[in-house]
Amino acid sequence: MYNEVYKNSKVRKFYNQIYDWAKSLPENVIVKKKNEAENLFKKIGITFSVYNNFDSTERLIPFDMFPRIISSIEWKKIKKGVIQRALAINAFLNDIYNSGEIIKAKLIPENLIYKNPAYEIKMIGFKVPKRIYSPIIGSDIVRINENIFKVLEDNCRTPSGVSYMIENREIMMRMFPELFEKLKIETVENYPSYLLDALKSLAPKKCNKEPKVVILTPGSLNSAYYEHSFLADLMGVELVQGTDLFVDESITYMKTTRGPEKVDIIYRRIDDKFLDPITFDSSSLIGIPGLFDSYKSGNVNICSAPGSGIADDKAIYSYIPEIIKFYLGEEPILDNVKTWRCCEEDAKKYVLNNLNKLVVKEVHGSGGYGLLIGSKSSKKEIEIFRKKILLNPANYIAQPILELSSVPIFDKKKLSPRHVDLRPFCLVGAKKTKLVDGGLTRVALNQGSLVVNSSQGGGVKDTWILNE
Amino acid sequence: MKIKITHSTTYKYSSTVPRLIQCLKLYPSICDNQEILNWETSSSNGKIIESHFDGLGHRVQNIFIKNFSGHLKITSKGMLKTKDLSGVVKGLKEKVNPLCFLRETHLTKPCKRIEKISDQAKKNNKNLIEFAHKLNLTVSNSINYVTGSTTTSTSSRDALKQKKGVCQDFAHILISAARFNNLPARYINGFLLEETGSGENTTHAWVEIFINDLGWVAFDPSHKKCIDEKYVRISTGYDFVDASTIKGVKTNYDGDELLESTVSIENCQ
Amino acid sequence: MLSRTAENLFWSARYIERADSLARLLEVGYRISLIPNTEKGYTNEWESILETSGIKNEYLKKYKTISKEKIIFYLLFDPENSSSVKNCIKTARENIRMVRTAVTLEVWNAVNSSYHELDKNLKETKNILKELPEIIEWIKKQVNLIRGTILNTQLINDGYDFLILGTYFERADFTARIINVKYFILLPSINYVGSDIDNFQWSLMLRSISSFRAFKWAYGGQEITYTKIIDFLILNMTCPRSLIFSIEKINHHLGRLSKFYKQTSTSNKKIGLMYKKIKNLNANKITEIGLHEFLKSFIEEINYVYKKFEQKYFFGVET
Repeated sequence: MYNEVYKNSKVRKFYNQIYDWAKSLPENVIVKKKNEAENLFKKIGITFSVYNNFDSTERLIPFDMFPRIISSIEWKKIKKGVIQRALAINAFLNDIYNSGEIIKAKLIPENLIYKNPAYEIKMIGFKVPKRIYSPIIGSDIVRINENIFKVLEDNCRTPSGVSYMIENREIMMRMFPELFEKLKIETVENYPSYLLDALKSLAPKKCNKEPKVVILTPGSLNSAYYEHSFLADLMGVELVQGTDLFVDESITYMKTTRGPEKVDIIYRRIDDKFLDPITFDSSSLIGIPGLFDSYKSGNVNICSAPGSGIADDKAIYSYIPEIIKFYLGEEPILDNVKTWRCCEEDAKKYVLNNLNKLVVKEVHGSGGYGLLIGSKSSKKEIEIFRKKILLNPANYIAQPILELSSVPIFDKKKLSPRHVDLRPFCLVGAKKTKLVDGGLTRVALNQGSLVVNSSQGGGVKDTWILNE
Repeated sequence: MKIKITHSTTYKYSSTVPRLIQCLKLYPSICDNQEILNWETSSSNGKIIESHFDGLGHRVQNIFIKNFSGHLKITSKGMLKTKDLSGVVKGLKEKVNPLCFLRETHLTKPCKRIEKISDQAKKNNKNLIEFAHKLNLTVSNSINYVTGSTTTSTSSRDALKQKKGVCQDFAHILISAARFNNLPARYINGFLLEETGSGENTTHAWVEIFINDLGWVAFDPSHKKCIDEKYVRISTGYDFVDASTIKGVKTNYDGDELLESTVSIENCQ
Repeated sequence: MLSRTAENLFWSARYIERADSLARLLEVGYRISLIPNTEKGYTNEWESILETSGIKNEYLKKYKTISKEKIIFYLLFDPENSSSVKNCIKTARENIRMVRTAVTLEVWNAVNSSYHELDKNLKETKNILKELPEIIEWIKKQVNLIRGTILNTQLINDGYDFLILGTYFERADFTARIINVKYFILLPSINYVGSDIDNFQWSLMLRSISSFRAFKWAYGGQEITYTKIIDFLILNMTCPRSLIFSIEKINHHLGRLSKFYKQTSTSNKKIGLMYKKIKNLNANKITEIGLHEFLKSFIEEINYVYKKFEQKYFFGVET
């Protein structure tokens, strides 16, 4: 197991100060500070004038105070790699919804695209504004050893978690201002304004003034509602629900007390199928009738574009290196994790023979569900998955069980290593592709666990990119 | 053959509809099988606004109406010159790969009976087209045509279970069976000139199956044949719901909606 | 401002006012329950409380019989009663929660903690009848806290107007309804005039809109009479629960919205007319028209104003 703090059993120089600091904290101070952090989270939610507290169901993904540090050299590579993927993914989406060159070149099997329910035929032939389908991409990155970072998956629809990135920093700055004097750490607070800039650069054809941006949420019962209102507040845009919008003569409006106000760009945090009951799921009550027509008439932009999800399908993921080479003519800067596609006969055989050594994932699953970790599963569980794979091989991929790198957490009162991953958020605008220097570090709080998802015992840490 | 068509759909609302959108796919497909001599769509209320041509070649239009009450009549009419191309549909202006039509939908999910139908049709075929013809025939015999025996939400499974249905159900069963055998298949809405003398006409539905080397071939399981010059193609989709020619949504409306449709199809040759 | 935001602000304030009204009704009920149960007029009080709050039928459907404890529970806590105090505060909170950024932190905290404390109160209540006075006191205190926080911390912008309008639409409606339900008490009857029952009923009614003391002050401790009560509850601008006071407030805040948005609506015109009319009335004229008829048309008119206001600002479909 690679512990990011050490090199040859010595503390790495970036971690020197933090490690000394953490070690010097008396036990009672750690406990006190933990409580303070908890309380601050409630209050910060307040200063951002969003939501708070008494309902603890809302926020409170556990936060650990020991920061995760990434050197500027390491970060440069990650940043370049993430931007490269984001550009390639958008080029790929533009291609498969138009001429399909990559399929004609036989680099990706046509079945994988055309039979895939995530491939939205209603988007075929439509020129999306500035050819950007997915303006916000969150790639999950794992560290294997001192030198190797790999991408585990890309989230191209509506990646969440960015509010934690910003809040975690806020908390750390309030609780330990002295640390920020000792180390020069890149700021993350510009994310909301970068996001707004990126969205504004994607104005639709028929928008000839300052574009009006809104965030579309499914409503306050959605688990990410906190983040939706957080972003709306920091971006200074309206947070709307489907019923706040309507379409008349192909133009999308928002109902305001002043009367209808034209909307140009919708950063939607609802799924494709709920967007418009005329075009998609006719039973959707949270959608806007006629929205798709308004979109196709060039009166409004929907970000991310419907049908973007095909790019983060786990079967497509395994082709990202080919996709990068095909569209950008470059070698991938960040590698993928080795992936066996069970739709291929040889791969399937290998997977079935090595189930106890692999992680098997459902192609369309997410959030750590529909997953088998061979080494941690009972014989019975493995046999259930074997049957599933045999029944529908195309629905599964497998990867080796990764030894994710670890970083210490304050466990009770002592430091103790836990596995982490990293999700930076890449913003793809019409002209610029940007990344704030930071990301969300997710940590598996249970000792030995490799699952960092918040729904399954994961927590978060502040992530420090050093400015050296 | 020259065919003249007038098709009206009338919606009657029991109280005021605050906001109403009707999305129309009412223009005949552009293809070699039919030449549009003239065609127009009109609405008794509200303006018809051009939206876009979608990937399947539909010319999509919309009607937006506020605070509407009473009757809304949407009419499309015109004249076409049709050709019999032995069922093969040629020259379609579409951008969608046929493999997309292998996806299952709720209305066309396969079941044991579909499996049986395809087993029956599988015997002694020289090639795919022969198989497709046999599949069409087998489906034709799988249920009885009984007017009014099913609803708009009846699936192929339901229709097979009750052993009766209308053209929509024949189409859904054939689609299920074709896709089950890995043949891309899709639902077609259109008109069929039936010279019965009664003068009563209705809209019709059939199926297109994609056969390598031939392209899309149109089968009509309710009439046990491929389409000829008496068929006029309007819209297509995964199934009945996806292909529907008029889709409407009413916002904040709790009254009733009654629907009436009249079709006249004339042979002008 | 989003229409939905305005709507949420309006309804949160309206539900808070409703909770307040219910608490005052219960206070009257409690007073009566302390008086020996001999006169027929007194036992009817519980029924008329149900009537005033407009939920008699729903109550009877569930409980069949009129019982003090059940009515109190129904009005305070019953989750099945959509306008119980608990549900009013819950709905008010839900509405504010949806538009958290449109109110100050102080307002949110006031509403939110009221909701959570009420829940706690409910769980800790053992003898609802005995503890009623404290519960009522608590509700009134919370409502005053919320309202005071709104007055002291909110920006005086359009959002503020929607909050205030919620309060006064509810109050105008409630006061009109309570007088209407009890108008028979107010009828000058030869049998009752000057009798104890008369005086007692009238003072109860004043109490139920918490104006008993105010009345005494306003009329210099004079005897309670029919015309004075009508004057006080309908036409006296110094009484914060009078109809004219609510109408003036609604007129003022609709006027502010109209100026703010540089748009006018039918609701502005109509409320202006209502205000003018009520200003020129006196108690004798109302008696001439007939109190019941006056109230009936008042309720209709204020509902019409609300409908137009709602269409304009909440639905965006004023025709």
